[in-house]
Amino acid sequence: MKLNRRKLLSLIGVSPAVLAGESAMGADSKPKRNAAAPMAAKLEVLNPKGQPPTIPLIPMAPRIPSLDGKLIYLVSDGFAGADRFLAQIALWFQKNMPAVQTTYRLKEGGLAGDDPKLWAEIKAKGSAMIMAYGH
Amino acid sequence: MGFPTAPIVTIAFKDLAKSNAASRGMPLERITFTPHPLTNKTDAEMYAALEGNDPVTGKNVMKEIVDALTVPLTAEEKKTGTISPDTGPPTYSDTPKNLQRFYADNNMTDYMPIVLPTEEEVEAMLKGTSHKPDEIVGKLSPAKGAFPEWTFNVRQVAINAVMAGAQPEYLPVILAIASTGQPSLFSSTSSFARMVVVNGPIRDKIKMNYGIGAMGPFNDANATIGRAWTLLSKNLGGCGMPGQTYMGTHGTSLNYNNICYAETEDKLPEGWTPLHVQHGFKKDESVVTILSGWSLSNICYFPSGAYPELIKNWLTHFFSTGNGSATLVLDPTVANDVKAHGHATKEDFANYLMKETKTPAWMYWDSPFNRNSLDQAKAGVEPYATYLKMGPEANLPFSRYARPTRPGAPDAPRSGIEIVVMGGETNTYWLGGDFSYLTSASVDKWA
Repeated sequence: MKLNRRKLLSLIGVSPAVLAGESAMGADSKPKRNAAAPMAAKLEVLNPKGQPPTIPLIPMAPRIPSLDGKLIYLVSDGFAGADRFLAQIALWFQKNMPAVQTTYRLKEGGLAGDDPKLWAEIKAKGSAMIMAYGH
Repeated sequence: MGFPTAPIVTIAFKDLAKSNAASRGMPLERITFTPHPLTNKTDAEMYAALEGNDPVTGKNVMKEIVDALTVPLTAEEKKTGTISPDTGPPTYSDTPKNLQRFYADNNMTDYMPIVLPTEEEVEAMLKGTSHKPDEIVGKLSPAKGAFPEWTFNVRQVAINAVMAGAQPEYLPVILAIASTGQPSLFSSTSSFARMVVVNGPIRDKIKMNYGIGAMGPFNDANATIGRAWTLLSKNLGGCGMPGQTYMGTHGTSLNYNNICYAETEDKLPEGWTPLHVQHGFKKDESVVTILSGWSLSNICYFPSGAYPELIKNWLTHFFSTGNGSATLVLDPTVANDVKAHGHATKEDFANYLMKETKTPAWMYWDSPFNRNSLDQAKAGVEPYATYLKMGPEANLPFSRYARPTRPGAPDAPRSGIEIVVMGGETNTYWLGGDFSYLTSASVDKWA
């Protein structure tokens, strides 16, 4: 999948339209700085936006060729019902890919919190993680 | 994290999940989507969703999850480097009519006309503070921890203050609000509202309303300061993009000015302290206090008994989120009645309410946060077993407004109730809602 700059800006919450700036506004003469100017006269106004942080691109971790014989962590983000949903994923693996081992964990720190202890455990003992979900 | 991950998200959060992954540096994260919602589905229905298709890609959900973990990465997915988001040029120029449309179309307003932020207007606004235009005021995001924080300076706050129609003398109040790092448009499906209470000498200096109609559209400072908070939340924190950084299923019209008012300090009953003093400031300091919640009810009811009893009963049965926080906004007439019935301070009244309110049994057992108690009740563990036997219509003998809320918890309980006195004394009415205290900030610091 390719991601162009316009789409990327949209994804990080910045409207590509604002980048067009003066050209998008059809600026062809020096604007007048006068709030009382006639409606047809041009005004120059200031951009009200703050500064989003620079985003370092993070490459994804290498994938594993097969899940067979691997331990997959099924991790709940703590939202109601995620535990039951992940239990169904474990059941699906039992029925359809029995060579896959699964184990369930509830992530610490609520929906948005980090859980470095769990990440370290998965890195040491597991091969991959499936995390769920929204509502 | 160093290992392959397959996140699963319900379809309602497609844009949020993708934009959040991008803003954290992984724009091509392999996310599998399922139908929405799943929370209320049976186990069999959840299993069926796994065997069904991702509504975004049309691919089988479980195949997509397995592929997410096993298909080798593409060159794009391995990319490193940085992205510097560009929020546009410093200025725009066009006719006033077109500029109004442009700002609205790009979600930079609340969709009502703005004062166009010309250099001249912004320079005049900056005269409202002694701080330098390029001084960093703070950081803001739609939800701390869940979204990257944007940075902004005094000049950028001033631009938004102009757009809201504020006067230069209001700028220190708006800067104080911005400095808290609290957005008015908090990202949640639950349509949070916010409240800002102003205390101290600044209230009179800028002629804020704390009398008749203070929460209504009757005062320049109340209206535009509250409005500025929402504009700056959008423009200085990236908040309020429906589907991406705002998920409130209904939204709330309270966000138009965020319940901005001042406390009626001169009519506090003797011995009662203003809100900012309760939170550690001196009486002669000017302060903004931020509260967060969802709803506020206007209680127009004449009790046959005393107001403390009425408010206690209302709090017992009040229900929105059941989260155990409450804020009361009492007209001075009601506050004086409460004082006359023996509550010498706000704290005393809040403690009375905390101790005397009960918890409806149905509400207690229905809460997902009390599932452990329910299990213990069913296993015969006291006092839960007795509570369960009382039936769903009973009122359990402990308060939701005591923190911690679990009965028998070892820590000393404290009240989750805030009390503000405000009103024009035209009747003995009061407001109650689920707002809770977030933070306070000095206005004087930004003068």
